[in-house]
Amino acid sequence: MADSGATSAPKPSSSVKLVLLGEAAVGKSSLVMRFVNNDFQENKEPTIGAAFLTQKCNLPTRTIKFEIWDTAGQERFASLAPMYYRNAQAALVVYDITKASSLQKAQHWVAELQRQASPGIVIALVGNKFDLASANPASDTSTGGDDADATATAEEEEDVDGESDARKVPTKTAKAYADEEALLFFETSAKTGLNVAEVFTAIANAIPETSLKGPRGVGGQTNLGRQEDSARVNLTGANVQGPKEGCAC
Amino acid sequence: MFNLSNLVQKAQQFIDPTLSITGPSSDRRPSKATLFRHQFRLPETQSPLQEITAELTLSPHHSTRGSSGESTSHAQERDRPQGNHYVGKLHLSEQYLCFSTQGSSFLNTASLSASSAFTGQTHGAGPAGNGFILPLCAIRRVERLHSQSYMFALAITTWNGVSDGKAKPGSAASGQKLTIQLAGSRIQCERFCDGLKRGLREGVREVENLRAVVSECYSEYLLSEDGDDKKSHGNEDRKPREHPDTGLGMVFKYPGNARKLRDATKIRLWREYLRENGRSATLIRQPTFHKLIRVGLPNRLRGEIWELTSGSFFLRLQNPKLYIQTLTKFSGQESLAIDEIEKDLNRSLPEYPGFQSEEGIGRLRRVLTAYSWTNEEVGYCQAMNIVVAALLIYMSESQAFFLLSILCDRLLPGYYSQTMYGTLLDQRVFESLVEKTMPILWDHLAKNDVQLSVVSLPWFLSLYINSMPLIFAFRVLDVFFLEGPKVLFQIGLAILRINGEELLDATDDGTFISVLKSYFARLDESAHPRSENPKLRAVTRFQELMVVAFKEFAGITQNTISEQRSKHKGAVLENIESFAKRTSIRNLGPESKRLSVIDLGFLYDRFYEVLYERQQRDEIMQHEAERKAKAGRMKATEVVSGFSGNNPEVGRVALGPSPTQMDYDGFREFLAGIAKWAVTDSPSSPPELNGDKQNHSYFGGSTRSRSTTISPWGSGPEPADHEFMKRLFRRWDTDMNNTLSLQNVVTGFAQVKGTKDIMSNISYFFELYDDDGDGRVDRDGILRISEALLFLSRRGFEGNLSPSPSLHDLATSPERRENRDEQFLSSISAFIRRCFEYADPDHAANQVRQAAADLASFSIGSDNDSEDLVDLSDPASPKPNPSSPRLLHTKIPLSPTPSTSNPLSPVKAKATAANLALDPNNPLHITLPTFRMVILADEVLETFFESGFSASFRLLDAPQPSHASSSSNLTTFSNAAARNALAPGAGASVGGAGVGVVPPGKGLRGMLDNIVSDGMRVAAEVRRRMDEAQREEGEGEGEKGHVEEEGEEEGRDGELLEGAETADVVVGKGAGVVGDLLGPPGEGKKEGEEGVKGRQRSVSEASKILEFER
Repeated sequence: MADSGATSAPKPSSSVKLVLLGEAAVGKSSLVMRFVNNDFQENKEPTIGAAFLTQKCNLPTRTIKFEIWDTAGQERFASLAPMYYRNAQAALVVYDITKASSLQKAQHWVAELQRQASPGIVIALVGNKFDLASANPASDTSTGGDDADATATAEEEEDVDGESDARKVPTKTAKAYADEEALLFFETSAKTGLNVAEVFTAIANAIPETSLKGPRGVGGQTNLGRQEDSARVNLTGANVQGPKEGCAC
Repeated sequence: MFNLSNLVQKAQQFIDPTLSITGPSSDRRPSKATLFRHQFRLPETQSPLQEITAELTLSPHHSTRGSSGESTSHAQERDRPQGNHYVGKLHLSEQYLCFSTQGSSFLNTASLSASSAFTGQTHGAGPAGNGFILPLCAIRRVERLHSQSYMFALAITTWNGVSDGKAKPGSAASGQKLTIQLAGSRIQCERFCDGLKRGLREGVREVENLRAVVSECYSEYLLSEDGDDKKSHGNEDRKPREHPDTGLGMVFKYPGNARKLRDATKIRLWREYLRENGRSATLIRQPTFHKLIRVGLPNRLRGEIWELTSGSFFLRLQNPKLYIQTLTKFSGQESLAIDEIEKDLNRSLPEYPGFQSEEGIGRLRRVLTAYSWTNEEVGYCQAMNIVVAALLIYMSESQAFFLLSILCDRLLPGYYSQTMYGTLLDQRVFESLVEKTMPILWDHLAKNDVQLSVVSLPWFLSLYINSMPLIFAFRVLDVFFLEGPKVLFQIGLAILRINGEELLDATDDGTFISVLKSYFARLDESAHPRSENPKLRAVTRFQELMVVAFKEFAGITQNTISEQRSKHKGAVLENIESFAKRTSIRNLGPESKRLSVIDLGFLYDRFYEVLYERQQRDEIMQHEAERKAKAGRMKATEVVSGFSGNNPEVGRVALGPSPTQMDYDGFREFLAGIAKWAVTDSPSSPPELNGDKQNHSYFGGSTRSRSTTISPWGSGPEPADHEFMKRLFRRWDTDMNNTLSLQNVVTGFAQVKGTKDIMSNISYFFELYDDDGDGRVDRDGILRISEALLFLSRRGFEGNLSPSPSLHDLATSPERRENRDEQFLSSISAFIRRCFEYADPDHAANQVRQAAADLASFSIGSDNDSEDLVDLSDPASPKPNPSSPRLLHTKIPLSPTPSTSNPLSPVKAKATAANLALDPNNPLHITLPTFRMVILADEVLETFFESGFSASFRLLDAPQPSHASSSSNLTTFSNAAARNALAPGAGASVGGAGVGVVPPGKGLRGMLDNIVSDGMRVAAEVRRRMDEAQREEGEGEGEKGHVEEEGEEEGRDGELLEGAETADVVVGKGAGVVGDLLGPPGEGKKEGEEGVKGRQRSVSEASKILEFER
């Protein structure tokens, strides 16, 4: 999706290491799956340790290649996380809008990242499972029992209660927290694809120019090593000239 | 026959190096029992009782159709006419008879098989080499054979097949027979036989279990199929046996193409092997066994063989109903683990049809849930779902349940624990092995900043199940269960080696991962597609992988892994601990923000240090007791794997759930480490003083385990036990569960230390003594407060000197200090006076009378100060003593009316109710404003509340030289351990150095202490007299109760100890008796048989005969 038509002009390209953190079963892997393959699986195997995927994101002036580290969410895997967020330039901290405790966990992650990760890391707070909150006609085919009725809207407060809206975390609450900590903030649905690409694009735009590295090992085509090296030289030159920030892809 | 002496010599020669470990003297080495259990995969209940060098002879005619199987055996093993011979060690435990050709397996040297070219690959972490692990209950008959030599030869007939056992107890027709020659001195042999006989008799009880367990094994079905058709022995009609549960695969098909896997051929080979070598419980490992496993197990037999090789079979045998019982016991209960399990049920091997069905998911749910209940420390860890799902394809729920516990406890120690330290450690080990075996690749990875564990962690954690295609992962598992954890490393190394060149081209994680991904996807392809040789072309990449793993990396043994583990353990644990600390401190909540991060870190360290040390001591004491009780039979702690071995490590934060709640005693110890006043005045705790304290302490009963040889406080200072501490404890225990969590402690400290406001300090103190929260503190409370103030100040106060004094200060200014102490005493004395002066009466109705009485009591108290001191004949106490008012009343304890204002009744409520004399008429109280006023009226007290009190808790702001070391280090535990190691048994001065405690009774400080403690002693004395008076009247019920309880407890302790000793004696005697009864086997068959038959009818009933023929 994001990289359709990327080949037309040789834009400067750089890779960004991005890590996904958040409680178990909030939909980290599903977000990645939606972003990378534009696909959604109802029963996805839990991530063991971490999964690694890549995807490009085209900005008007350059191409960002995300190296995505999708981590396991269960509490006890937390001690493995430093291994994965090491050197990360961006982080997606995901919570489940239908589960209040997951936001709390997300806040812990944000705190951890702010203290332990590389300085200047771009953090986005993402409330997933939007489809469960706003009973969305598109989600009729789903299994979820919570999104049966079609009355509630996304911005409503949590007290609308069970039958029509499974939302437990009001948008306001999360947004306020995100503003306070200067995080990017989105509510997404990996199932419907809502806002997924937008999150990654916003991150791509927010990555400071200076922290961008050159491209590394393009998509497994290992025999291109030489070319890449020369490309890297060109790229740095281009970057120094400072292309202006573009809009979303 | 063969040349025996030669054999013995050879055996000795091989086994000699092991003697130092396996000899009888090794009882002193606690690790041996564990090593033994690990080698034979036996349950924790087993310990090596006897062992002896022996030769195992498998007679070729024990099976009617043995010839076809023989062909697969090595030629050289058949050079003797009597079938296969193996030299090795025979071991006897409580319930098992084990034989292994790898006698060396307890040692580092590998491969000592005397008679076989093929040796197992376990090197001590699994059933190595050839041999057997026979549950004693599976032995039907043992005969002593005539032998030409002086040696003992035993013919063992095993119990084979459920059917026969039921039908004819005496019949041994179908049982397999094996002959064992014992090589050892006559005495050794006799001892061994004695042990065996005892074990056999005990084993009778297990027969029912065995029958139940074996009936669930597919091998029984497999063999009974043809047994019923072809064999003639069982001529009773039998319904076709029910097909045992061999996993979901029965219903949903096993993964892979059965024809391609040559399942039928494998089953045929196994059937032959099993028929000759015993099935399930009685299986004998011959070289063919290992080979059959290497080529992959047939689907239906896979579960059973996994169970046998991993040892989970023995667990199941031990407690066949545990699984069902656990499920029933906890049915309907909720837990965190269950929530986590539910999240993952739908996503465990979702591609396998069985796990898209309710049936499969139900099984998975039950096994995971049952396990989470039996091991709540582990609970549920993601990846377990995948592993268990894989197991359930091949085995029944109950089998999978036991196999899972073997996995968690033994094969993958610490992998799924709360902190996953095992996983992290093994990743570190794997990295170091890569570094060692593939330095070029390692350099490349390092240069490109590729983190290997990112790739390899899932391999280990889910046993390659979600990395490789299932059919290949199961092949790895086949070997893994037999040979142990090192298989995971070997396979991992082989994967890297095979892909080495491509990996060297990869410069980032992404490429690295994709290379391996595509490799796994092509495991079924030919490894040499272009080869001319069709045979070579037929070799798949997976076969190549196996060959590389087990040939090229044959040098990676269990010992390699163990060594590496212990090498890296410290660093890994420290990492986890610093992470845990960081997280924990960050999550302490808003209250904690009132303390500095450094202080929080200090509190965290100190809190867990105390818990940890206390746990250690408990354990040591427990061990001590156990040792006494069990005399000689030691509990092993060292594990083959190199983990959880060192006892002192249990409870380290990084090793998983450790205690997080601190009880009152722990709290005292904790306080003693940070506040001087919390250290007792009598570190050696002479019993009489101790007892005295107990009797009169309001909250008695915290001096348990004083009688042990080890100080219950370890090397640290012995904490005091004062009512104030109890009150603090209760105040901080906001959850009302009688323990404190770190959160409680931090919140508590935030209240005490986090505020600089004198008013809130005063109200805090007041609230501590306002028991019912009505804003009033009564007479008793006032005196308690004064006592507490005395208690807190008895070591002097730094608060009014400087907020952060040091030992140095204290030592250099004794005079000033003395002055201050005096000041303080008089301040407190004044405090009491003023309190009573300004106290409000409780009831308006009583007001008048009370006022008068108050006045009277007050005036009496103050007037008689000096007199009292004289009376007490304690001229050493130079201060007006606040406890003096009490004395008045001790003089008149029997007269009911004048004791109007007995303010010091230690058991206020009860005593007042019980004894009218105590103070019926004029209860009075002070309120917070009064209290404040009284405090502020006195400069010393004011200073105390302004700074002294909170400064008396020393966190890191106190510049203690020894603090620096502990604070700079993130992990306290290692620190603490080091300190303990350095100063074992050192007194308070050493242990307390790190926490700034002054040992009492030294030099000038001692003098001051004496003065203060004299004051305290006076108070105690007064109280004691009062109590006595009360008791004489028989009215101090509550107090008495205390005393009695105390006495009882002591009595019980004593009993316990005595019990332990008598237990020893009984055991000893019992053994003696049994020995006598049986007599040495050499004394003749009759006696032995009589003994057995006469005493244990059940023996013969259960078809067991011990025959000893000359």
